[in-house]
Amino acid sequence: MAKIYTHDLEGNPVGLIDLSLEVEEGQIFGLVGPNGSGKTTTLKLFLGLIFPTSGSGEVFGYPLGSPVYKERIGFVPEGPYFYDHLNAVELLRFYGSLFGLTGPSFQDRIEHLLRLVGMWDRRDRKVADYSRGMLQRIALAQGLINDPDIVFMDEPTAGLDPIGAIQIREVIRQIRNEGKTVFLCSHLLKEMEPLCDTVAILNHGVVCRTGTMRELLADEDSCYLATFRGLSESSLQQLQSLAVSVEQQQEDTYIGNFRDQNSAVAAAQALATGGVELLELHPHQLSLEEVFIEAVGGIPQ
Amino acid sequence: MRAIWLIAKATFHEAWRRRFLNGILVFGILIIGSSWTFTYLQPGAELKMLIDTGLGAIRFFGMLIAIFLGVRLIPDELEKQTIHTLLAKPVTRAQFMLGKFFGGVATVFANVALMGITFFIVYTIKASQFQKIAAEAEEGATYTMIFMSANIAKAIGLAFFELTVLVGIAVLASILFSWILGAIFSFFIYFVGQMADFLRELSSPEHGADPVSSIIFGVLYRILPHFEIFDIREKILMDDLVPWSLLGNITAQAIIYIVVILMIGYLVFNEREV
Ligand SMILES: Nc1ncnc2c1ncn2[C@@H]1O[C@H](COP(=O)(O)OP(=O)(O)OP(=O)(O)O)[C@@H](O)[C@H]1O
Ligand SMILES: [Mg+2]
Repeated sequence: MAKIYTHDLEGNPVGLIDLSLEVEEGQIFGLVGPNGSGKTTTLKLFLGLIFPTSGSGEVFGYPLGSPVYKERIGFVPEGPYFYDHLNAVELLRFYGSLFGLTGPSFQDRIEHLLRLVGMWDRRDRKVADYSRGMLQRIALAQGLINDPDIVFMDEPTAGLDPIGAIQIREVIRQIRNEGKTVFLCSHLLKEMEPLCDTVAILNHGVVCRTGTMRELLADEDSCYLATFRGLSESSLQQLQSLAVSVEQQQEDTYIGNFRDQNSAVAAAQALATGGVELLELHPHQLSLEEVFIEAVGGIPQ
Repeated sequence: MRAIWLIAKATFHEAWRRRFLNGILVFGILIIGSSWTFTYLQPGAELKMLIDTGLGAIRFFGMLIAIFLGVRLIPDELEKQTIHTLLAKPVTRAQFMLGKFFGGVATVFANVALMGITFFIVYTIKASQFQKIAAEAEEGATYTMIFMSANIAKAIGLAFFELTVLVGIAVLASILFSWILGAIFSFFIYFVGQMADFLRELSSPEHGADPVSSIIFGVLYRILPHFEIFDIREKILMDDLVPWSLLGNITAQAIIYIVVILMIGYLVFNEREV
């Protein structure tokens, strides 16, 4: 699909230039990309708010924009804004009623969602008085009101305090664990890395890499890193002889770089007799940040 | 239906939070409530003056409310992006547009009703006194008042239908142009529509206009809404019972007009990116 808004001064298209995606059900799919790369544009296409300049797409087998699949999706917008005159309960009731939800089970669902996003205690406050983070929380609750099979989210943790962000990430995992699909747009790579199952990297409107998180982060010449504490002069020398390289981290903490898992474990056992403490042992992985920067062609000077 | 109703309801509630519209309403009510104090300007014709100013004020302030409300109904949703969460739900653009329109119409109805009630109170208090003055005045007109209050109610009803057409025009104009241009356009249509008879005269061959402009005036006469048909003040003063058939006729014209406007609006809005 492509959505070209205009062309810039040099005649290059602006917008979403080449999007080709397939999202499998039951996973957290992350669409990451720098500002202006076309994440929000992608979501708007999925929701039928804008129309592709070329190409087409489907959600659950229905053409984009069809009201049929909208029964089964949820949407958490970026920088959300709602009708001012409603309070949290009224707002959820309004959006739920659009799906024809009524009755006591609907009331329960409203309470459940407000508790889930931490707004139950503040449910009587009017949207007009909400802080940025409160708007974000209620936006999530409204996106889940119909118990959707797929939730589209645009920067869902923007404006949230650290606790709020952790809670929201927990909610996102919970949705996935119920077998639902989450389509997540963000540029917060540190947050996306432990969260997403599959990632697509979008740059200048073009998807430049896709794959499962494990595939993307796998390092070709992988090595093992072991972190030790409490090394004496002699045990440090011992470590240096066993490891490929040693790097000092904090005053008494060292990271040894080993060729494989076995040599790392052997070294740890040998050092343990000298009272050295093994803090951490893990294969070296690329970070999503590194993969991302490589995919988008480095940091401009 | 459900979506239209819910969106209309939300639109109605949001509209009452618009300070500017509240201001127009309060101002209108003040003018109508105090209209009897100006009647000394036309000694002997106080009652005529009361009805003229009262109904005139309802139409005028109603017109301001209808236009300023109408042109903001959809642009507000686009600017604040509240439309995104709505259209992400099983809500079609047609339902959205109709919901906004009917919410706007309901708001106008409530505004007209409040001004109408104010006017009725003033009328009830002052009418018999003014009639007495008129009867005693040497050259003053005398009014029979058998049908007067029924006719006033009908006039207010017609004012409401007139404003409904105007809300439709304002909504359409805001979709076609920006809201500011839409407001200017709506005012233009409203004032030209008030002079529909004049346009017909201009277009008639006897008037001697050159053929091109006479065609233009003719086309304008045919496509513009004839807002003057909603003004039945003269009939009220004659105290003829305004027949239901006339009312039905005018209302039918209004409804046809609204349907056409909304259909054009839908065709444009359905293709619109939001
Ligand atoms: N309505 C529009 N008209 C013209 N250009 C637009 C419009 N909306 C977006 N764009 C352009 O399309 C590109 C993609 O924008 P988009 O909002 O999808 O980016 P994004 O990835 O969501 O960015 P961010 O991380 O800042 O939210 C940008 O270059 C933007 O300037
Ligand atoms: Mg964005």
